Amino acid sequence: MSHMTNTLATPEQLYQRRSYSSLPPDLQDAILFATQCLTQAAGVLLQLPQSVTAQANVVLARYWLVEPLMGYEFSDVSAASVFLVAKLGPTPRSPRDIANVYAYLRSSSSTLFRSPAAPSPSPPPANNPNSYYLSETAYQAAHSRILAIEERLLYALGFDTHVSLPYPLAITYLKTMDFLGLRVETVARRVVEYLNTALLSPQMLYLTCQPNELAVAAIYNAARDIGAKMPECEWWEVFDVDREVLGFLVVGMRSVEGWAAKMRDDIPAMAKRMITRKDIEDDMACRGQPLGRNGYGADASVPDLEADMARQMDDQIAELEKSSHGFA
Amino acid sequence: MSTTTGKIKSRWADDETDAALEAQAKKEREEKKRQKAEKARKLEEEKRAREAEAAASARQAAPQQGDDDTNPNSEPPSKRRRISPERETGPPGRAAGVDSSSSGTTLLRLGGARGAFGPCRSVENYDKLNDIEEGAYGWVARAKELKTGNVVALKRLKIDPKDRSGLPVTGLREIQILKDCSHRNVVKLREVVVGEDTSKIENIFLVLEFLEHDLKGILEDMPEPFLASEVKTLLLQLASGVAYLHGNYILHRDLKTSNLLLNNRGQLKIADFGMARYVGDPPPKLTQLVVTLWYRAPELLLGAARYGAAVDMWSVGCIFGELLTREPLLQGKNEVDELTKIFELCGIPTDESWPGFRRLPNARALRLPKIPAANGSVVRAKFPLLTAAGVALLNDLLALDPAKRPAAEAMLAHEYFKQDPKPKQEAMFPTFPSKAGQERRRRQKTPNAPVRGQAADPLGAVDFSGIFSGREKEERGGGFSLRMV
Repeated sequence: MSHMTNTLATPEQLYQRRSYSSLPPDLQDAILFATQCLTQAAGVLLQLPQSVTAQANVVLARYWLVEPLMGYEFSDVSAASVFLVAKLGPTPRSPRDIANVYAYLRSSSSTLFRSPAAPSPSPPPANNPNSYYLSETAYQAAHSRILAIEERLLYALGFDTHVSLPYPLAITYLKTMDFLGLRVETVARRVVEYLNTALLSPQMLYLTCQPNELAVAAIYNAARDIGAKMPECEWWEVFDVDREVLGFLVVGMRSVEGWAAKMRDDIPAMAKRMITRKDIEDDMACRGQPLGRNGYGADASVPDLEADMARQMDDQIAELEKSSHGFA
Repeated sequence: MSTTTGKIKSRWADDETDAALEAQAKKEREEKKRQKAEKARKLEEEKRAREAEAAASARQAAPQQGDDDTNPNSEPPSKRRRISPERETGPPGRAAGVDSSSSGTTLLRLGGARGAFGPCRSVENYDKLNDIEEGAYGWVARAKELKTGNVVALKRLKIDPKDRSGLPVTGLREIQILKDCSHRNVVKLREVVVGEDTSKIENIFLVLEFLEHDLKGILEDMPEPFLASEVKTLLLQLASGVAYLHGNYILHRDLKTSNLLLNNRGQLKIADFGMARYVGDPPPKLTQLVVTLWYRAPELLLGAARYGAAVDMWSVGCIFGELLTREPLLQGKNEVDELTKIFELCGIPTDESWPGFRRLPNARALRLPKIPAANGSVVRAKFPLLTAAGVALLNDLLALDPAKRPAAEAMLAHEYFKQDPKPKQEAMFPTFPSKAGQERRRRQKTPNAPVRGQAADPLGAVDFSGIFSGREKEERGGGFSLRMV
């Protein structure tokens, strides 16, 4: 049975993330969502099967329940989880491929985070290869960061990288059903779409529910969307899902789209490109709650050489600016 | 089940034109199905109504709206519901095995057994007692957990800091597979711990249950081979462990006596999963560079890219032979020599005995004698003391054609284990001095010389009649035996 189940987040972990983080909940959610989107995009460009990318999504979300969000650059954590999961599976990807893909996705040429819902769709950004050229030094640095975070990921997860996904279960469940007059492909496509969307959910649905529950909720939603009439009995119990969990998941899966649109409006940095730690710091400063020195808040107990270096350089520049402009 | 699967598969694959052809038949089938479903639904409803009546008093508080409650339009989004620790007291029984849902049905709670995820503990929780081995496999030590006093084996994951591909994938696979396994004949991984300094993860240790011996060490030291009953017990345990692994889609790919551990209570456990991996069915393309040479199956030596559980069963056969003679069965010096030794023992493969072996990559260069008539298996001759059933099992395990080797599950039911002498109870197993536990070898054969002037102990009335009972019924090594060629 353990093949079909996942280790779930404990209530304490979920509570602590919300309550003791230095970041307000909306920023936490935005970071998680943006990084999960980035991971999915990287999976596509790296030609990884969705089963691998989805596992990377789950590993990433688990990691951030254990360790502080601001510990490493978000895109680096995403790259490391893709690297790790791909390596353990049948489709390993080289650090160089991964570094190149992430360099592109973070560059100004990438279309990933362009606001899709803009009234007049802005012209796609010019493809400027210089913007994602990765020098040998930059590659080596990215490579080192991936390896460092890989270790960190494994340490934080107690070396348990098992992720069970709901996709195969959903297909199996669909096969036991008879969608009268409807092509199963239509339903299946919608089901997979819901399962993919759920990976991005700020509610971390894959960390709070078991795969069979996710599969049933996706089928429920898909059936509703395409207007399939569902049995009047409590059919989800056949798949060991109780109504309360189903209700929660149905709402959770459906709410992602609207939530994401609203979040893009609220946090302007989100609609341009992949957000960085710098964006978050700026945002916090705008809100009048600058993040602590050295610290990214009270929970950053992790010394991070890369980040320290970056911060030292930032400090130097700030000091230069201070001396030239003379403001405190 | 198979018929439905078949039908649906075709439905998935069909395009519209095909569908049109089948439409008529399908409609009828679906009509029938619908009627059937309707009937079943009515029955179900009746049943539910009855259940509902029975459970009505117990669930007054539960909402009664049925399906409408899951309708997202009628239910306010419960967005933050799950992030407060109240949840623990909230939905009852979620963590427990059974849930009392509103309809009173008992649902299977999946995943209750899996714990939580969280960071590794420090190796400082353990106190090293002594080294067990240091070699190609890395470093293994016996240690004691400070808090509980439990003795464990610490195995250090070999990490090359210069390796730019990160932590070794074999080590990570070993950890994952061991974490997923839970069987009495598979060594148990208690946890993974890391060095004290967690800013840079340099030392990773697997905390494994400690077993006193490995089978190789025992075989090398024991003055007489295992009794037939003991061989059966060991082999049964090995097969049972391997059956568990194969049942969970795990290939061990390095079964050999030095990877089989034995404790002082006669329990055998499979260890060292450095080569192991999950495989699907049918197995994907895999590397042939697995399994220690002496235990490597002929299809691997011939370069098969697709292989399966049968490679482990070959190793089990080799181990069987080794248990009988205390000597590794097929000690080839290199791949070619190993193949030669295999063919000497099991015969030259023919198109009848192993259909399709000539298509394997390395078989093309193979020059085999033209007349294989006299080259059958000589297992019978090599193990003259083995019973007919034992020889049959060994011959099956060492079948050149992997398709002819028995599965581990089937092996457990083999006639050999039912015949006398019966497998010995594990508790009755002899004990051995443990090298890993740093016990000195007691020289049991030569008792100390009596001290001068000591009075001889009176034996008194002691009944010895029972101590050798049963033992003489068993075949023993050495001594007199009939050759059966």
